Amino acid sequence: MIIVNGERLEWSPGKTARDVIKEKNYLFPLLIVRINGKLVPRKKYDSTVIPDKATVDIIHLMSGG
Amino acid sequence: MADREMITIEIDGKSVSIEKDSTILEAAREVSIYIPALCSSELVEPYAACRLCIVEVNDGRKTKLVTSCNYPVRRPIKVNTSSETVLRNRKIILEMMLSRWPNVQLIKDLAKHAGITPPRYQHPAVDLNPNACILCGLCMRICEQGIWENIINFTNRGADRSVQMPYDSEQPHCIGCGACAEICPTGAITMIDDPNQPYDADMVRRAGMRITEEMIRFDKEQCDMRGVGTAHLVEIMDAYDLLPVMNYRFGKHEDSSKISSDVLRTFFTKGKPDGCWLGCTMACAKAIENFELKTGPYKGEKVLVDGPEYETLGGSSNMGIFDPRFVIEYNFYCDTYGLDTISFSTGLAFVMECYEAGILDMEKTGGLEISFGAKDAALELLHQIGRGEGFGLIAGKGIRYMKKYFVENFGADPGFVFDIGMEAKGMEYSEYVTKESLAQQGGYGIALKGAQHDEAWLIFMDMVNKQIPTFEDKAEALHYFPMWRTWFGLCGLCKLPWNDVEPADNAETDEPAKVPGHVQGYCEFFEGVTGKPQTMDSLIGMSEKVYNFQRVFNLKMGFGKREHDAIPYRSAGPVTATEYESRQDRYDTQLREDVGIDPTGMSTIEKVAAMRKYRESQYEHLLDAVYKRRGWTNDGVPTVAKLMELGVDFPDVIELVRKHGG
Ligand code: SF4
Ligand code: SF4
Ligand code: FES
Repeated sequence: MIIVNGERLEWSPGKTARDVIKEKNYLFPLLIVRINGKLVPRKKYDSTVIPDKATVDIIHLMSGG
Repeated sequence: MADREMITIEIDGKSVSIEKDSTILEAAREVSIYIPALCSSELVEPYAACRLCIVEVNDGRKTKLVTSCNYPVRRPIKVNTSSETVLRNRKIILEMMLSRWPNVQLIKDLAKHAGITPPRYQHPAVDLNPNACILCGLCMRICEQGIWENIINFTNRGADRSVQMPYDSEQPHCIGCGACAEICPTGAITMIDDPNQPYDADMVRRAGMRITEEMIRFDKEQCDMRGVGTAHLVEIMDAYDLLPVMNYRFGKHEDSSKISSDVLRTFFTKGKPDGCWLGCTMACAKAIENFELKTGPYKGEKVLVDGPEYETLGGSSNMGIFDPRFVIEYNFYCDTYGLDTISFSTGLAFVMECYEAGILDMEKTGGLEISFGAKDAALELLHQIGRGEGFGLIAGKGIRYMKKYFVENFGADPGFVFDIGMEAKGMEYSEYVTKESLAQQGGYGIALKGAQHDEAWLIFMDMVNKQIPTFEDKAEALHYFPMWRTWFGLCGLCKLPWNDVEPADNAETDEPAKVPGHVQGYCEFFEGVTGKPQTMDSLIGMSEKVYNFQRVFNLKMGFGKREHDAIPYRSAGPVTATEYESRQDRYDTQLREDVGIDPTGMSTIEKVAAMRKYRESQYEHLLDAVYKRRGWTNDGVPTVAKLMELGVDFPDVIELVRKHGG
């Protein structure tokens, strides 16, 4: 189990930052991803594996009128 | 976007791993190996004009000389940046350059570095100007590829070749962004300063250039403002259950893809910077040319339509209409009649719900069958509003008027129309569903001008990121952001360059939501114009004075107290059983976890009531917290102490707020 933006999410071995973004349907492009407080660069979403029990923050910035 | 394939190559014996298709020059820079390069920049496509960046490449079979700025790395290769052949060739090129432009500092430096001092011969087209154009082509490439304009180009051939604007005259289409001058390595291009004499024009330009550079580098993968403008928000709002559908009852719809940015992209024919702000390269405005109108006074004519933007698209889903041609047509006629697409569409969504609820019928609408999705009736009503005729005379006066009118003349249930009539302080809501974000309910309800999101758009911070969980956190956000946005209004600036593109290091800052790098840019912009240095706090301070003064003005006009910050319940929660049932799991969970009520065995109507009681009290708590943070009384009136602190304690202001307990 991991916590994503305060909500529980199933964990499975090898789950990446990109997988979580997809699973949560986070389509917005201006995201900041932190795993246990550590920033994950945008280029590394596919290769960053999330450990079990991690706290993941996927911060959406604002945009639009 | 998947991670890119990496390739390892060797440069001067150093190994470097780099994304496939990067250039040798980029790879060399990764490991700090210097290769002289005159005509290349990360901001534009390579052009290979100067040939200074030549290197020797060995692919295991043969060795050849290539220009490193445009040679893509596709397999493991060995690169030599300073072999004898390379150095000899580079020297010849530089000697030629130095003989032609002997006083250009950059050329002099490069020549010196290569061990050449005085040129051995004089070039027939020698140019002694220290700021001579060296024909690198960077300016025209940044104008075309970076800014999406095509203002400057090379003219003539051979020794007469030079960079020019067409016909060698001033170009009205040049947006004055300054990118060409900034990128020019010799100072051959200078910007002519605006006659209003800013204190430090360079400071203003540098602040602007940073945004331009971010637009060039990141816009495509960030918001694609230049591709589709704010239309990209349609699919995003739909994905987060925030796109208003059928008068804000729901937040997504299976047909929303029919009006998504991908569809609009196929209609847009114009998307270059339109110069609404001098030098702005965000180019968010889109236009559609030759659009044939189906209705109204210009029926059959082909027109240019400015838009549509997100709000106009969201307004359409709010009316239950998912037809891009309808959106473009109602956009055109709203503009033509001088109507706001938000007020029109939100107003019509209300009319449609009233029609479906039986408050209105064909007799009352003068024959219009105006249920959700009725696009022909919607356009007919728009024309009636434009002409000031028929039911248009009532609908055109807005939701606040209609609510009263429907109660007094059509026997509507006041409770129901007040719950679903989406306006605050008489202004129609813009196009976001706020039910799951208490902070945003406040963002709309407390906004001084009425229900507009442009004081504070906090839905992601609040609902998705869970960054502002407590009332105090929300109140702080409802202090900072409205003040910050007010500042744009004070200076007559557009807000989009603040957060519709983001600096590369924004994620690493303390408060990324504020985009501190851009706030700094605005401080410099202000200082560059006025000569007065600023900080984030001082900008907020400017706004706070004005904001409080505006609240006092509202008070004077009868709109400035707690009762005026009330919101229609539809913006806080589900009004009808259908709405509740459409998101039953979510609401049941909230009843259990947040409200502390077990919904098992309760009827939907009972659940709606329980949820309402909870959410309405939450909103009142929010008002308490916001007023406290802003230094207002619990009735929402600025206190005398606050006004004194801000220096807006004019006698009539004090007298007024005293009368209202301030
Ligand atoms: S100022 Fe901007 S738009 Fe004008 S020529 Fe230079 S790059 Fe092009
Ligand atoms: S004007 Fe400047 S940027 Fe343009 S081609 Fe000449 S040297 Fe290069
Ligand atoms: S920098 Fe490569 S040819 Fe000019």
